[in-house]
Amino acid sequence: MSDPKKEGEGLKGAAFSGGKSSLETVLGFLKRTLAEGCFDALLLPVKAPGGDSFPYVLVQDKALLEDRGSPLPPIMPVQGGKAVSSLTRRGKAPRKVAALMRPCEVRATIELFKLAQVDLENIFLISIDCPGVLPVKDFAADPEKGMAAFGEVLEKWGDRKVRPVCQICHRFTAPLSDDGAGMVVDLHIGLLGIEDGEVLLIPYSPAGEEILAKLDLVPAAGGDILSAWRDRANELTKKRGEERRRAQEEMKSKVRGLNNLLETFDKCINCHNCMRVCPVCYCRLCYFDSEAVKHPPDDYLRRAGDWGSIRFLPDTILFQVGRMSHMSLSCVSCGTCEDACPMDIPVAQVFSLVADEAQEYFGYLPGRSTDEPIPLATYKEEELEEVEDAPQGASSETKEKDG
Amino acid sequence: MEEKIGVYVCECGPNIAEKVDIERVLAAVSSIEGVAVAERYKLLCSEEGKKFLKENIEKHGLTHLVVAACSPKQHELTFMNVCEEAGLNPYLFQLANIREQCAWIIEDKDEATEKAIRYVRAAISRVRYHIPLEKKEIEANPDVLVIGAGVAGIEASLLLASRARKVYLVERESSIGGKVKGFAQLFPRMESASALLEPKIKQVVENKNIELMTESEVEQLLGFFGNFVVTVRKKGGEERELNVGAVVVATGLQEFDVSGLPQYGYGKVDNVYTAGEFERMNSPDGPTQGKVLLKDGRAPRSVAIIHCVGRQEKGYCSRVCCLYSLKLAQYLKSKIPEVQVCQFYSDLCLPGKPYQRFYEETKGKGVDFIRAEKVEISEGEGGVAVNYSSESGRLEVRNFDMVILATAMEPAHGSAKLAEILNIGRGVEGFFIEEHEKLGPVSTSLEGIYIAGCAQGPKGISESIVQAEAAAGKILASLVPGRKLEPEVKVSEISEAFCIGCKTCISVCAYNAITFDELRRISVVNEVLCRGCGNCAAACPSGAARHRHFTFRQIYHELMETLR
Repeated sequence: MSDPKKEGEGLKGAAFSGGKSSLETVLGFLKRTLAEGCFDALLLPVKAPGGDSFPYVLVQDKALLEDRGSPLPPIMPVQGGKAVSSLTRRGKAPRKVAALMRPCEVRATIELFKLAQVDLENIFLISIDCPGVLPVKDFAADPEKGMAAFGEVLEKWGDRKVRPVCQICHRFTAPLSDDGAGMVVDLHIGLLGIEDGEVLLIPYSPAGEEILAKLDLVPAAGGDILSAWRDRANELTKKRGEERRRAQEEMKSKVRGLNNLLETFDKCINCHNCMRVCPVCYCRLCYFDSEAVKHPPDDYLRRAGDWGSIRFLPDTILFQVGRMSHMSLSCVSCGTCEDACPMDIPVAQVFSLVADEAQEYFGYLPGRSTDEPIPLATYKEEELEEVEDAPQGASSETKEKDG
Repeated sequence: MEEKIGVYVCECGPNIAEKVDIERVLAAVSSIEGVAVAERYKLLCSEEGKKFLKENIEKHGLTHLVVAACSPKQHELTFMNVCEEAGLNPYLFQLANIREQCAWIIEDKDEATEKAIRYVRAAISRVRYHIPLEKKEIEANPDVLVIGAGVAGIEASLLLASRARKVYLVERESSIGGKVKGFAQLFPRMESASALLEPKIKQVVENKNIELMTESEVEQLLGFFGNFVVTVRKKGGEERELNVGAVVVATGLQEFDVSGLPQYGYGKVDNVYTAGEFERMNSPDGPTQGKVLLKDGRAPRSVAIIHCVGRQEKGYCSRVCCLYSLKLAQYLKSKIPEVQVCQFYSDLCLPGKPYQRFYEETKGKGVDFIRAEKVEISEGEGGVAVNYSSESGRLEVRNFDMVILATAMEPAHGSAKLAEILNIGRGVEGFFIEEHEKLGPVSTSLEGIYIAGCAQGPKGISESIVQAEAAAGKILASLVPGRKLEPEVKVSEISEAFCIGCKTCISVCAYNAITFDELRRISVVNEVLCRGCGNCAAACPSGAARHRHFTFRQIYHELMETLR
């Protein structure tokens, strides 16, 4: 792993083709990297034999890759960051592994790296343009229908069929600016604005450039394909950004204030599934599953006495708010929490709303850099002044913006 | 064992009694489950008060004690000691601050009383969950590390060594003596610098109690007063670990770099020197063997000395520049009697007993003083032109053969890094900051680390020596061989079962007290180094890091009762 390109070098891309569809072309490219010995194994989603799910699989077998490798599966049953963490939490990979993931999964991987839950040595990160994924429950109910629906999603590039957080995702591609800053990744596969059957390989690190060189692919600055990809991606980013703001304003009016928040999470059955699937909820034992939050009966009776009544299981909202405060700065809006909620609570929509505001407040973007410290574990003297001087709930930055 | 909580409200003379309805407080808390006794007393911190508390703890067989009185900063320790004397673990005690936080800040007696009731209830609620912590004793190390072997470091070392203390004197240069070593003579008596310094250097070298470590720098400091572990690296690699009880920081100063101020022509106009360079020119072992010469080898016929170079940029007066400028004038007059010397000053700073006379004496030797502002140095006709704005505001020019810039003092380079290593503060000017300007002039925010000499701020030799003696005296008085130290017991611990090894705690620990156990892949607290600040407990998302005296349960119950 290495840092994003230095400013001013500009983005370069190499076109790659050979498959009937773009995704087939991606598979062809991956196969070549294995054949040329660029990597010893690939970590990517693979279609389960039953065709009803797409787990991450560490693949060395080219036939399996060709048959069932799914560079862009219709669902996200496991967040890729969690997969990379499972692979490397106990130490670096002994040989070279390329992990192909969606941008939100790459970002989660970087966050986990900062939290010492991922070892990036020998891990080559590949991201791919993402049109969103279907809700996992919809797909599981009828995989065949799901495959057809996702076909449409890919064609239209975004569709009401994808999950609500995917519909308003504005970080579905790699950074578009010339300096390539905004996400740590080695190589990005561009699909947007490019003819079917062809893909664009964009190196974002020296390691990415090396791999292309090894495959005799020469990335060029400018060029029709690169500008087509960039234009389309820019346009969509802008559109999604607007949709995101609109949807979040709407969501805000629904969840603002304690009563609304309680109402939103009223259905919660305390299963903690959202926490279990969240890539950045990395604790060994969630605090809210621990004995520390279990109290003696007289305590609950006293609380019932104070408030008139007390709900059981207790601390449902405390869990949600607690989890929010623990992970929202690293939240990548991947939506797995909402997928996992058996009660269809819009967990991801609420959490990503809070995450966006929290991240903006600290000027922090998860996955942007491997050495940007997570804000709550750092201390800057000027932050104190900012809190003192700013009106409640606004940083001096936003204050300035608001004029 | 049955819980027996004793609650005692202190009247603090009229301080609390007049502002808080103590009877109402007592009535509100006496029926709380577990409260065995709730009483008031006029002054609990008095000798009678302490006796009363002790007798009550024994008489009622109290298992926990709550005192509602002043700030814990004032008397927490007092009451903890009472507990100990009465055989009650001092950590089974909680102090509710109803003076500073209620009586003194709330006008309305009802409101103050309401708040006090909440605080006392919260303290009762919390104290139930207190864990009896056991005090530990460790040996204190009486050895001392002195950083910097200039006049201040040397003086402190000699004084400490005279009381049979082992002193490690660390100096990054190859020789000792610091800035004074480069001086020819010293103001105001114009005695030879080496006559003063050489015997001191000799004493250091010959003293068996002083281990001199030249070309060495401090790389790491862990621990606390009485028990520091210091890593010192010798230039070229060799690393040593030292155990000391206290540290004197005497790292001195450096000359302000005037090349950043183009108006002084330094480095561009010939025969423009900084005071330090001119000082070396006067030194018998300097580049000209003590002769004052122009670049072309002639002796100067006229010399300007510019005061306050860098004062505006640094934002402080360096205190000794006026005086050393007088000294430089005396050098010139004694070596080249016919030389014309002119001092360009904006304010003359001549505080202290002997200096007014020194000024008059220098002036009497035919040295001119011109009050000037906006001084600019440029290439002049046959010399150096000093352009300035005179006291009347007129722009004037005068030509000289030589110009000397009296530059400001700034902290020695590397001070920022050293501050980080030692974990002590620096002021906006970059000098190490003392604990209190008046009450703790040589102490720092960290117990056991002292500052002396120009490391603390610009000053002359005599003041540097005063500070060195003060720092040594502080250490000799507090770090007595054989004395035991009690490390903090209200510290953090990390649960192996909960820790997932994200190292967040390590990044927030201000005392380098947490290390990572690579084998078990968890973070581990060094209890001797931990000061119990609680950063790790607050930052740990898993609840693996826990503060022993601020557990989740304790804080939770305290808060619940405050907010109920």
